[in-house]
Amino acid sequence: MSEQGTPRPEHSGLRHTLLAWLNVLGPMAGLLAIYALFALIGPPSFSSTGNLETIARQTAIVGAAALGMTLIMILGGIDLSVGSVVALTTVVIAWLLQHLQAPPTLAALGGIAAGAAAGLVSGLVITRLKVVPFIVTLGMMLVVRGVAKAIAHEQKIDAPLSSLQSLLASLPPEKRLMLVPSGVWLVIALALLVAGLLKYTRLGRHIFAIGSNEATARLVGIPVNAVKLLTYTLGGAFFGLGGLMLFSRLTVGDPTAAVGLELDVIAAVVIGGGSLAGGEGSVFGSIVGALIMSVIRSGCSQMGLDNWVQELVTGIVIVVAVALDRLRHRTNTQ
Amino acid sequence: MIRPVCLPMAVLVALVCLCSCARQAPPPDTTQGPPVEQEIAGEHAGAGQYTLAVIPKGTTHEFWKSVHAGAVKAARELGCEIIWKGPLKEDDRDEQIKIVEDMTSRGVSGIVLAPLDDTALRMPVKAATEKGVPVVIIDSGLQSEDYVSFVATDNRNGGKIAGERMAELLGGKGKVAMLRYAEGSASTTEREAGFLEAIEAAEGIEVVSSNQYGGATTESAYKAAENMLAPLKGSDGTLSLDGIFCPNESTTFGMLRALQDARFAGTVKFIGFDSSEKLVQAMRDGELDALVLQDPLNMGYLGVKTMVEHLQGRSVEKRISTGETLVTPQNMDEPDMQALLMPDFKRWLGE
Repeated sequence: MSEQGTPRPEHSGLRHTLLAWLNVLGPMAGLLAIYALFALIGPPSFSSTGNLETIARQTAIVGAAALGMTLIMILGGIDLSVGSVVALTTVVIAWLLQHLQAPPTLAALGGIAAGAAAGLVSGLVITRLKVVPFIVTLGMMLVVRGVAKAIAHEQKIDAPLSSLQSLLASLPPEKRLMLVPSGVWLVIALALLVAGLLKYTRLGRHIFAIGSNEATARLVGIPVNAVKLLTYTLGGAFFGLGGLMLFSRLTVGDPTAAVGLELDVIAAVVIGGGSLAGGEGSVFGSIVGALIMSVIRSGCSQMGLDNWVQELVTGIVIVVAVALDRLRHRTNTQ
Repeated sequence: MIRPVCLPMAVLVALVCLCSCARQAPPPDTTQGPPVEQEIAGEHAGAGQYTLAVIPKGTTHEFWKSVHAGAVKAARELGCEIIWKGPLKEDDRDEQIKIVEDMTSRGVSGIVLAPLDDTALRMPVKAATEKGVPVVIIDSGLQSEDYVSFVATDNRNGGKIAGERMAELLGGKGKVAMLRYAEGSASTTEREAGFLEAIEAAEGIEVVSSNQYGGATTESAYKAAENMLAPLKGSDGTLSLDGIFCPNESTTFGMLRALQDARFAGTVKFIGFDSSEKLVQAMRDGELDALVLQDPLNMGYLGVKTMVEHLQGRSVEKRISTGETLVTPQNMDEPDMQALLMPDFKRWLGE
């Protein structure tokens, strides 16, 4: 999973390899440093294996959504409707389970399809009406939230207990060998898949090309609109996956859930080396970014620190991570 | 070839140093034990080894400050430690689930929890109980049997008291409106139901609006209140409404602000729930006709006390009521009412 940044064939091979490794190692080193710090000053329980599992489970939602956001941000776009799409997905899954008595797998797929549909609508408006993604998805944030509340009649929907709830539930002792619950494995597998898609497929290269320079990409014959449409739809599906993970944790369909989640997801991608200007980012980095925020959260929480400390620390880490990234770029181009 | 690699490396090292320096603020002896809020006073031996996590729904409402004060009071009396930690995003169910999980991982002796949702918090509470961390539920109910005790206001009764007072104030006829709090909040839904029950029982009174939600913050409640009042305003500048009920502090205050702005405050019978300095002032000014008060300080106190009793192996009641009281402009200066209206949380929180 070392696909990274804009391809710059003019670099010498060695230098390119070094830089690629550095891009991967930067966020990783940050994660390890922060973890080591909390292990040192936090309560002993922080570094227990049980807590590692807890951190992994708590990262799954932002991690799943960050897969979609990574694709969209490499493309040079952004999607602010993540939180609303996640809420819509939990509502759709709960509705399917409750009112249609759908089998859990079908309900889960239905929820993800709802997410993909929201992404498709965003993509259509962006490509057909030529409105900038920031505005379109800002609107979609409200539209999707409204739809979710309408479906749920402004209440949460209680769903009957189903196998979906074990996706992110703490592992029972007899399944300890799995290390983390199946939902986390699912996110890891999909992360590998998306990383492969970005590195080895034509679509992946097209996404990078459009994010680097859309006009040039158009000139060399890349079907820009089709790629955009596909990316936003894929992104929506991953947000839907995040919604599935949230449903698994909440066990209810909650139209008011995940308000402000978009900021966590964007922060994860940006900490991991993604750029708001497009053309950069990596799946590995984004997952590490999401983990960094979970580790800070878990550490602060277990130390019993006040919420404002936690917000302060997370905010500083985001800015420092991006500032370092800019600094690295400046040295690269010199 | 070397330079572009060296600089980022140096920066990375700097980051690591920076992080470690910045986070070395706590005293060096913290490696010896869990650094938690030092709220111990070992007057009573026996409870000193307990560390309890007290998890509210949020941390900014005054209500939760009183609960915090009550918990601190109990901790001082009993000589145990408490960790006070609310969800980072107020009213975010997943954030609260994370905190319950974190505290379970941390291995606290017990958790005192005010669940944001009666269903969503079932699983983490079950997991905590299975890992040997008992849970006492305060404030709002949980649809589960995995807890030691439920320490809370009887919210339906609180709403009923408000409804009966409203019927009395209106002489059994007129139009009333109710601004609900938030979707899926069990305690306020109970109050709303209790109020509507009492109003229905009074017959002659018509409910003209009861489907609007104020939302989590004062700001959102203020907007919702304005929108709710707008269609009820007549062209002659009067309000075709006789009574209003709001089921918590933020909706009551939001409604009060909307009434004040539109100069309707005092012209319509207005009953709220919970108290704050501003609401007490409004009652003094005749803009509020009654408040239903809970006893949050007692709730925090009894929550911690019940948990310690359970940990010491004593049997505890499954349901403990913390009481609900109607305060009016007539009785508001009695000492008992004053203690409820303005809980002395500063004394316990050292603010």
